Amino acid sequence: MSLHSWFIALGHSSLGHAMQTSKWDFALVEMVHLLALALLGGSVLVVDLRLLGIVLKGESARLIGRDLSRVLIGSLIVMILTGIALLSEEAGKCYFSPAFRWKMALLVAAVLFYFTLHRRALLHTDFGVPNLWSRAAAIVSLTLWLGIGIAGRAIGLL
Amino acid sequence: MKSRIALAVGLLTCLVAVPAAYAHHSFAAEFDGSKPTRLVGTITRVEWTNPHSYFYVDVKDATGKVTNWGCEGAGPGALSRRGWKKGDLKIGDAIVVDGYRAKDGSNLVDARRVTLPDGRTVYGGSPGDGGPGDNGTDQGALPGTSSK
Amino acid sequence: MPLLQHLCQLLNDSSFGTMIRESDYAYSVIESVHVLAITLVFGTIAILDLRMLGLVLRPIAVTRVARAVFPLTWSGFAISFISGFLLFWAESAKMYTNPSFRVKLILLALVGLNPLIFHTTIYRRVHEWEIQHVTPWRARAAAIASLTLWSGIIIAGRAIAYF
Repeated sequence: MSLHSWFIALGHSSLGHAMQTSKWDFALVEMVHLLALALLGGSVLVVDLRLLGIVLKGESARLIGRDLSRVLIGSLIVMILTGIALLSEEAGKCYFSPAFRWKMALLVAAVLFYFTLHRRALLHTDFGVPNLWSRAAAIVSLTLWLGIGIAGRAIGLL
Repeated sequence: MKSRIALAVGLLTCLVAVPAAYAHHSFAAEFDGSKPTRLVGTITRVEWTNPHSYFYVDVKDATGKVTNWGCEGAGPGALSRRGWKKGDLKIGDAIVVDGYRAKDGSNLVDARRVTLPDGRTVYGGSPGDGGPGDNGTDQGALPGTSSK
Repeated sequence: MPLLQHLCQLLNDSSFGTMIRESDYAYSVIESVHVLAITLVFGTIAILDLRMLGLVLRPIAVTRVARAVFPLTWSGFAISFISGFLLFWAESAKMYTNPSFRVKLILLALVGLNPLIFHTTIYRRVHEWEIQHVTPWRARAAAIASLTLWSGIIIAGRAIAYF
């Protein structure tokens, strides 16, 4: 099944149908997507600002990262699930939307980065002060997540 | 003195205000995708605004009765990227609007394609959104584009 | 027309308000800043609230988390307030009659009241309980109020488009 036909199938699914014909169902899904966005952003901010040595200095970056990963991953999962529901409302448009494609690419990059280099930076920094690598990891992380948010906004505005 | 206090309080209240967070609210919330509608009429009013533009047309039916219809379009930025300019629609212009009827049955359509007085067609939708003329490609079947 | 509505109409019809409302890019950018700022306002204070509920960052004292979070929340609030005021300026005529917008205002007032009460009461004695995993019930109540009110504000804000 090609990617395009997957999008079409999503649009024709019962989820798609529900999202396309509802008013408040869609609104509710959107709102949950937004609340999860806030929590995801908040946890990313606190963790990356620790890596930059701006907040919670002297506390273990490894511990903070691991502890807040529950919030981060939890809200990410909620965003992906609500995101699929939102996508089913206008799958065709999203498929061709450059903003949507950018958002998906940045999302894959952000998640991959989070589980690899970012995790390594948190482990190595631990109770220490930031070095070039931890700062670079924080900047890349913040940029990727922010980029996802901006691209998401652009879907509706382009 | 009292009116000054009232003014200050009024301004303060407006300042504490919190604005809208519009962006996309589902098409399906307002419009019926199974009710494609074509309006032929003359423009009576244009609101070139964010988050949505609105233009109103007087449509004469077969009996000669005139009804005023509202057409909702994208915001100015999105429209300008599709070849619209603010001055393109003037009061009194004769246009054709293709779109989808509002769910609540009111005289409102989601304007997807407008034929301007000079014959030019401008597309209000997005490629792939299934609007009038859209053929599900990345070109969206804009007039003059051959479908794949 | 009531005075308040008249003021909102004046703001709406001003050249600055009109410029934003009819802009190609300004409105979209301002609105995007406003939406993404919820991460700074709500996302960060939520972490403090979750700490006070004993759900995250338990090994770290409440006061340390608060010190880390408050500058972020306040910066976010400033950004939200300014962007929000600009959006209001552009749409003030419509906002006057929008019920969801009014609810958002009321919730905003309440969310400002919450920390006021919190800081003048239980937080005064924070050094007695800052390292506790289970904080005093007043602190937990304030945390739940904060999470609920901010969520309500974001929901009401999104709902404006539906009325």
